[in-house]
Order: sequence, then structure tokens, then C-alpha cells
Amino acid sequence: MSNNDELFEEESFTSQKIDFKVWKKILSFMLPLKKQILIAIVSMSLLASTDVIYPLFSKYAVDYILRPGLNDTVNPNYDNIGYFVLFYVLYIIFSAIMVYLFIKFAGRVQAELAYNIRKKAFHHLQELPFSYYDRTRTGWIMARMTADTRNLSDILSWGVIDLTWGIVLMVLLIVVMFAINWQLALITITVVPILALISTWFRKYILRSQREIRKTNSKITGAFNEGITGALTTKTLVLENDNYNDFNGLTTDMRNKSIKAAVIRGFYFPSVIFLIALTTAAIYYAGGSMVINDALNITTLILFTTYVWQFFDPVNNIAETYARMQQAQASAERVVSLMETQPDIVDTDAVIAKYGTLFDYKRENFEPLKGDIEFQNVSFKYHVGEQVLTDFSLKVKAGQSIALVGHTGAGKSTIVNLICRFYEPTVGKILIDGVDYKERSLGWLHSNLGYVLQTPHLFSGTVIDNIKYGKLGSTDDEAIAAAKAVEAHEFIMKFENGYQTECGEGGSHLSVGQKQLISFARAILADPKILVLDEATSSVDTETEKAIQTAIYKLLKGRTSFIVAHRLSTIVASDRILVLEQGIVTEEGSHRELIAKQGQYYKLYTNQYTEDMLELSKL
Amino acid sequence: MDASQLMEKTNKKKNSSLRLMFKWMGKHWYLLIISFGLLYVISYARTLIPLFTQHIIDYVLDYSNNGSTLPNYLYVLVEAPDTKTQLILAALMIIAVDLVRSIAIFFRRVSSAYFGERVAFNLRNNLYRKLQNMGYSFHTHSETGDLIQRCTSDVETYKFFVADQIIEVARLVLLVGLSIWQMSKLNVDLMFITLTASPILLGIAIAYFKKVEKMFTVIEENESNMTTDVQENVSGSRVVKAFANEKYEVEKFEVLNRKFTDSDIRLTIKMASFWSGTDIICFAQFCIISVVGVIYAAKGIITLGVFTAFLAYAGNIIWPMRHLGRLVGDFSKATVAITRLDAILSQDDEYAHESASTTPKITGEVVFEHVSFQFPGSTYHQLNDINFHVKPGETIAIVGKTGSGKSTLMNLLVRLLDTETGAIYFDGIEIKNIEKHHLRNNVGIILQEPFLFSKTVEENIKIADRNLDQERVKSVAKIARIHEDIVGFEKGYETLVGERGVTLSGGQKQRVAIARMLLKPKPILIFDDSLSAVDTETDLEIRGALKKEWKQSTVFIITHRITTAQEANRIFVLDKGVIAEVGTHAELLKKGGIYQQIWEIQSKIDFQIEGGEQDE
Repeated sequence: MSNNDELFEEESFTSQKIDFKVWKKILSFMLPLKKQILIAIVSMSLLASTDVIYPLFSKYAVDYILRPGLNDTVNPNYDNIGYFVLFYVLYIIFSAIMVYLFIKFAGRVQAELAYNIRKKAFHHLQELPFSYYDRTRTGWIMARMTADTRNLSDILSWGVIDLTWGIVLMVLLIVVMFAINWQLALITITVVPILALISTWFRKYILRSQREIRKTNSKITGAFNEGITGALTTKTLVLENDNYNDFNGLTTDMRNKSIKAAVIRGFYFPSVIFLIALTTAAIYYAGGSMVINDALNITTLILFTTYVWQFFDPVNNIAETYARMQQAQASAERVVSLMETQPDIVDTDAVIAKYGTLFDYKRENFEPLKGDIEFQNVSFKYHVGEQVLTDFSLKVKAGQSIALVGHTGAGKSTIVNLICRFYEPTVGKILIDGVDYKERSLGWLHSNLGYVLQTPHLFSGTVIDNIKYGKLGSTDDEAIAAAKAVEAHEFIMKFENGYQTECGEGGSHLSVGQKQLISFARAILADPKILVLDEATSSVDTETEKAIQTAIYKLLKGRTSFIVAHRLSTIVASDRILVLEQGIVTEEGSHRELIAKQGQYYKLYTNQYTEDMLELSKL
Repeated sequence: MDASQLMEKTNKKKNSSLRLMFKWMGKHWYLLIISFGLLYVISYARTLIPLFTQHIIDYVLDYSNNGSTLPNYLYVLVEAPDTKTQLILAALMIIAVDLVRSIAIFFRRVSSAYFGERVAFNLRNNLYRKLQNMGYSFHTHSETGDLIQRCTSDVETYKFFVADQIIEVARLVLLVGLSIWQMSKLNVDLMFITLTASPILLGIAIAYFKKVEKMFTVIEENESNMTTDVQENVSGSRVVKAFANEKYEVEKFEVLNRKFTDSDIRLTIKMASFWSGTDIICFAQFCIISVVGVIYAAKGIITLGVFTAFLAYAGNIIWPMRHLGRLVGDFSKATVAITRLDAILSQDDEYAHESASTTPKITGEVVFEHVSFQFPGSTYHQLNDINFHVKPGETIAIVGKTGSGKSTLMNLLVRLLDTETGAIYFDGIEIKNIEKHHLRNNVGIILQEPFLFSKTVEENIKIADRNLDQERVKSVAKIARIHEDIVGFEKGYETLVGERGVTLSGGQKQRVAIARMLLKPKPILIFDDSLSAVDTETDLEIRGALKKEWKQSTVFIITHRITTAQEANRIFVLDKGVIAEVGTHAELLKKGGIYQQIWEIQSKIDFQIEGGEQDE
């Protein structure tokens, strides 16, 4: 489950120290939003000041409306009621505007920041070479694009706003309190450091325990996944009880951890309440004594009991933001690490100057591609692992089709990857039309390349969209003609919605055979000069099989093609067969020649392709 | 049964969500009652605090020459002859009341946590057990992603609902109710004035959050479209690059990214309007209370202390209304989750109508009498009137085209599927009377696409008997010809396989599956095409080794390889659900039927290789 991976990855990256370089990079995404950020911060600060003013209204009401009335015991001061209402209304309007502004702009900052990060990351992903995707799991990339981005944009918008509000409010409260009565102010602010300590500890604990619980939870998800996908195996081996006991162990762990966390968390709010109650009582006692001695106005006493409570929210918020900052640090590191991964297959500046970038081709400078391919003493090894190809040389004339045959790990896929320039030779050169392909752009090569994968990859969208992917901007007629050319038309028309049928995510609505045929159509529409075909091993029904064989034959025609072949019919149809063993061509020739040789090919052929013969003879 | 059918089924059952909600609490409901009790204490204690304010202002500090509104039992505790002592006592009593409140809050949280976690624990375990016990057709048709979604996030939603949301609603209702009650004792007129805005706020909030829920759905949809695009782009990176469509991909993503961002911003703006708009109502209400209160106080209708207390009570009522509205608006989410969970739990599993309890000794004799089988909803018989008698120790090869009913036949033997007509006997005892687990312990079947668990190779091999020693594990691995492969792995038998581990080839998986089936001797062993991905040479070796060690067992082998079939005691040729031919290799060749045709194709290959003749 990608879900699992995410969490495990998360652990491995968390560091404690603040890395300024990382934050600098992240902050660069906030720069275009500086106006919005400013509005949000200013409105939030003003809102914090209204929070300090608010309790003063009751004090005013009593001091200026009620008290004059009390003194002459006849009527309240009606003039002052007018002022009171006026100010109150102004206050309401002002604070409503501030609320509106801060939510709107903080929300906008959050959304736009996430947008900027995703945009940049996605753009960068397109530039990364195939080797990156080969060693990075999809789940890891997905987590960077979703959870981490969300986490970061959240803390940099709402988190920062919360922090601003908390700090402004506390500072103002302290200033106002000291201005009104310094003795009571002193009593009140003693609560702040204790509150801060308690809050920070609990907030950190809460985050830590949440992470633990999430980890257990992802194990449970994994167990459900295994329980469902492995259900038949479980039944046939009668493992129900063992599995259930394992599962019960996980859920028990989950239950106990969650309860423990909840119990410890449960102390937080009560301890805050009790702390504030202590302070309130102290204010009542001290303030009350002052009132008795006529040293204090009773409304001031009431005001201070309100202010004690007002410290709780900002302190809590600041503690939470502080704790989350550490998580955000990890998110930031991971996002930046994705963006700063240097692509190791890039065009040189000179090539870019002539042929343009991946996103902006200069097609007018593209030389027409004929299709002669030559491997000149090519050696290759992947980032990790052994040498796959050693001093490999091969000359292919334009239009020839080459079948690559051999065991897993013999180097078939590597040759294909090198031709596609998904990887580049470690030593030696690959020439296309007599020129080192590094002297031309990736775009030039890929614009002339057709590639059919072993497990065909379709995108969500309609059938026709997927075919058109081979040549963007082509017409429906062209796409349909392509489908007809590879025998796909017939089955597509059998669908209720024909070419408008939705393929589903990754083409999940279609069978493997159907996906293959559509990917053939996609490739033939591109009309490539070079075709790379990694043939599927999975068996399909007889009818589709027949269609596929005809389609392959048509695909190969007139193109330089490389086929990682599994089907006998395909091998037989190709011009040359290369038998590979550990990166070396051991045999080469046509089917007939190689059979006559009674060597490696003969052995492979008799062992592996008998089943094929069986199928073939049925047609 | 797929998701939509699942839903349909629940609709038929008509279990109300409310009833299910309580049913799933099981014996833990008392914890909920305890929580409610504690909530009462908490809310009551909270509504006492404004009375202390009033007491101190009016009575202790003697501001309005008026009495205390504290309830009598508290009043006697804080009563003292001099002001100073009164003040100390009142302050101490505030601490005491808040201490009680704090303790109650702590225990309320603990009891809610116990309640929620225990209920979720039971629910998860029940779901897991249910899913394991669901029959063959459920598992061959269900969507894993959807089921997992239900077992995880729907369980969370349910837990959150019963352990947090209900409590929160109860807390707010109690707080509002008790505050109104306390106010009514102080001044009824002012109480009504305080209450005017509440229903409006509540109504607006409910309507708003209902409406916003639709926006959330849109946002989620936009987000998932965008995420899917990234997912597809990343997993299809070869295709993107090979067709040089990077620019197109960036543009496509840009549209989706923008769409999601815009819908998110639209929601934020809605939020901003809601919170600022309702703020106006809340503050206006406070303004009115302040003005009326202060006039009342000036006229001597109420005291300064009562006025102050009123403002505190108003705060207890006005601010929570929006929150309450949000909670009520959220109720529908819980209902949906409960229905989705019930769709799984209310289904009949494969033990639902099971009464077989006998565990007879099984020697390996199998008799089929007029067995037919039809999949539910299918128009034709997958198997039609199958009859045969297999003696203990016989090896039977089953050949036939895809869809001829080979696997169905074998699934009947282990009761992954049940016969509708006809009967199957093991040593004269009808299969329906044999307890399923006992049956499966005696009849080992190795599936064509075996599943390996996310454990080490060794753990996978000894999965059916975890206490087994390593020597035995190695010996079965050797029989299954997987030992050499395993030793070749970097971590040997400790290599992690399955989802999170290394990917084994199809043939390796099949051989591990064979090894784990060989742990305990079984009177009947079935290979459901489970050597298909193993090369012919190894196939031969495995069968050779088996023959030595498992002489006594009856063996059924589904195979495409004539060389495999050739060595069986008898061969069953299945065609369109009937046994078309039975006999030894030699007998069937003479017969000139389907088997002979297959054999001929084989010979043709041999001929072709020898002659180097081309087929095209």
C-alpha cells in the first residue's frame, strides 16, 4: 500500500535542526503572495486588538452608564447609551471586516502556495529522467505532492496567522493590563509561562502519539489489504485463526496506544482549567481586597477575570504551531529534495540552443530521422548493481526489425532503455543516422520514437483520447484510422460508447489485450521511425491474440524496431534475432538459421515456446 | 458481489442506522452513560462560576446591597462573619468547583476514549473476521480499494461520531440548557432577550454546513482528479517521455491544479462570509443584552452582579450555536458510514448456513455423482453431470481449454464453491457433512496465482504451522525446487516477500506456494495449473520428488502440458463442462479425440524443430 510507504518514508526523513536553505527555497514560493500575506497578517493583528478591546465594553457600560445612574439612583445616563451603541456597532462592523479579510486571505495564501509548490514540483518531475522513476516509488512522489504540500502550505498560512494573532494578542493584553493595574497584571501574567510549558509539552506529546497511532493504523490497513487479496489462499490453507490472531494483535495494540494517548492528553485541558481557576481566585482575592479598601474599581476586577481566560487560546495556538513547525520542517526537506534532484540525462546547452527545451521544441531545426542505429562499444551499468552490458556493438539499418531474446537479466530491457535514451551508455556511443544521439535533443529522438510497454499504460479518459496521445492534435479520423490499422477498431466499436468509452484509471476498465491494442494504435498514430516493443507475456483470449499478432506485423513494417520478444510469431516475423546472455550477444541470425544451429536459441525455443506453438496452431 | 450490489442488499435489510449505531456499541454502552453523567457535572459546575462572580460583587463586596444567588449548599460553605474571610472562602470555593470540573473533564475524556477505542476495536475485528469468512464469489468480485476504505475511514467516522460528536452535542445542549435554567432564576425577561438570536444562529449554521458539504464534495473530486493525474503521470513516465509529451502533461496538470485551487479558494471565501456574518449576529446580541442589562441594573431591576453573570451565560449560549449547527450538519456523514459498514457486516458469509460438523478420516477416495454447477446469474452450466470415482493414491491429470470448468471442478473439492445438484463423497461421506476447515486441512489445493503474505520467505513457507523448525522448511523448499532460488537471495530465507518485499517471479511464487502446502501430509493434493509458470524441466523434477514423498496421496493436476498429463494414472479431458474423455495416455491416443489432437500439436512442434520448417 502506498499509504504504508508514505509513513515509513516520513520517519526516515525527520530532522530536528532548522535548515535555512530549505526554508529559503520554500519562502521563494511565498514571494509572489506577499500582498495577500500582508493583508492577512495586518487584519489578524487588528482582530487581536479588538479581542483586547471587547471586555472593555462591559466596563464602559457599567462605569459610564450604570454608575452615574446609581449615584443619583434615578436614571441611567442615556446620553452615554447612545455613544455605547454607536461604538459597539462600529466595533462589530470593524471586527467582522477583519474576520472576513483574514480568513479570505489566509485561505488564499494557503491555496496559492500549495498551487505554486505543486506546479513547480510537477514541472520538475517532467524533466527528471527515467532512472529517477526507476528508483523512486510512486507512493513517495505522491506523498510529496499531496500530504507534504498540504502540510507546508497549511503551516505557512494558517500557522503563521495563528502565531501572529497569538503574539499580538498577548503583547496587547499585557500592555493594557499593566496600564490599568500593575498589581493585578502581575498576578495574571504569572499564568503565562506555566501555561506555555504545559501547552508545549502536551502539544509535542499529542503530535508524537498521533504519529505512533498513524503507524499502527497503516499496519491495520495493510492487514485488511492482505486479508482481502489473500482471502482464497487463507481459506485453502485454513489460516483464518492465525490471521485473525495476528490482526487482533494489531487492533489491540491500536486500542491500547490510542487509549493511553487519550488518557495523557486528557490531562491537558483540565490542568489548564485548574491553573486558570487558581489565578482567577487569586485575582478575586487580591482585587477584592483592593475594592474593599477602595483602591480598585470593581469593573476593573471583573475585567481582569476575563483577561485571564484570554491567555489560554494564544498560548495554546503558539504551542501547537511550534510543535507542527517541526513536522513542517520534515515536509519542507522532502519537497525541496524532490525539486532539487538533478536530472542526469539532460541536453547540453548547445543542443538546447539549437533544438529547444523539453517544453519548447524548435521543430524547425529538427533533422529528419532515417532510422539507422549503431551501438559503438557500449558498456552500461545501473546506479547500483553489476555491469549489464559490456563492450556491446550493433549496427541496425533503417527499417530492420530486431528481436531480442534471452533470459531475464540478460540485458534486453537495458538495450531498449538505451535506445529510448531513458538511460545513457556509461561507456561508448549510440549513433542515430550516424550522429551521437547526445548531439541531438531528447525531444528530437522522442518525437520520432514509438514505444509499446509490456504492461500497457493508459491514462484515464476516453479511448480516443488515449490513442491521440501518440500524436497530440490529431483528428478523430486519424485516430480511428490508426485503430483500424492495428485491428483495434472492431472491439472498440463493440463498446456501447465506442471511442468515447472511458478507460478508467490506468485503463482499468479494459482487459490487458484491449489495452495492448490501444497502445499499438497510439504508437502507430505517432508514425515513429523507431519502434520499441516490449512484448507482453500475459496470455489473452484467442481472438485478441490473433488481432495482436496482425497488429505487430503492421507496426514493424518500414520502421527500425527493437522487440523484447516473447511470442514465437513475433520472433519469426523479425529480420534478425539476437540471443543475449549476460549482456553479450551469443547467437545472431534468422529463426531458420538459429534453429539449424541447435544452440542456445534452439534450447530456449524448445523449452519456452511449446505453449506458444499450442496456441498458434489453434488459430 | 460488487459495491453497488452490496448497497442494494442493505437497502433490502432496512436496518436503521440508529439501531445499528447502538448495536455496534455492544456491552460498552455504559461508558457512554458515564460520559453523559460526567458531562452533566461538568456543565453544571461551569454554570456555577458566574454565580460566584455575582456572589462576590453583590454580596461580599456589597456593591448593590443585595443577596447572593448561590445555591444554598454552596452559600453555607462561603458564609463568614467578616468580608475578608468571605472573600478567601469564595476564592477557595471557585478553586474547589473548578477542581471538581477539571477532574470530571479528565474522566469524561478517559471514558470516551475507552468507549470509542473499544467499539472501534470490536468493529475492526468483526469486519476482518467477516471478510475472511466471506465466500469465493465475494472475493473474486469485490473491489479491494473500496472494502479497505470502508474498513478504515468508515470505521473512523463511526468512532468519531459515537465517541466525540454525540458527546460534543450533548455537552453543548447541557451547557445551553443549564445556562438557561440558571438565567431563568436570575431574570426571566433578560433570559428571553439573551435567547433571541440562538435559533437564528443555529438555523443559519445548519443550513450553511449542509450547503458547504456539497462544496467539499466538489473540492474532494477536484483534488482526486488532480492526484490521479500526478499518479498516472508518474507511473506512466515512460509513455510521457517516449511520446515527448512533457509539455502537454504540464499544461494538463496546470488546468487541474488551478481548478482544485480555485474551488478551494471559493470555499474559503464562503467560510469568511459565514464566520464574519454570524459574528455580526453574535455581537449584536451581546450589544442588546448589554444595553438592556445595564438599563435594568440602573433601574434596580437587577444588580451589577446579576448583569455580569448574564453576560457570562450569554457567552455560554451564543458562541456554541454555530458549532452545534456544524455538528448537526455532519450527522449525515455518520449515517452514510454506518450504512456502508452494514453492507459488509450484514452479508451472509460462507458459514452462514453451515451445519456440517463431522471430521471423518479422509483417505483419498473421491466420488462425484451427477455433479452440476452453475454460477449465480450465469445462463449456462459451468459443469454438467460430472461422474467419476478416484481411488486413494491415484494421480489424475485434468486437461482442457480455458473455461472448460477445470478450476470449478477443483474448487468444488475444497468447497470454495458448493454443488447445487449431485453429490461429492469422500470415503462414502457426503462433502456437505464434512466440516469445512477439516476438509481443507485434508485436501490441499495450490492455486494458479498464489498469494504470498508480507513476511519472510521462511514465514511464508511455514505459514500453516508457525512452530516448524528450519530443517523441515528447507526440506519442503527442496522438494518444491525453490531452495536454490531462496539461498541465492541476499538475505536467504529471511528475505521479505509480498507487497513490501522483493517481487518474486510467477514461477518462484508458485514454487513457494507448493512448498507451503507440503508441510503436512495430505491425503488429497490439487495443483490448479500451479506449475504453469515453472519451466518444463523443473516441473518434471518437482513431480518426481513428490512422487517419492507423497506416494499415498491422491493427486489432481490441472495442466496444459502433455508431458505432465502423460505420467498420470488417468487423464480427464474436460470440454464445455463435461468430462469428454477419460483414460490413460495410451488409451486416449487410440481414441482419436481432443486429447489426441493436443498430442498432435505437440508432435508438430517437434517435427518443426527438427525440420527447421517455418510456420508462417
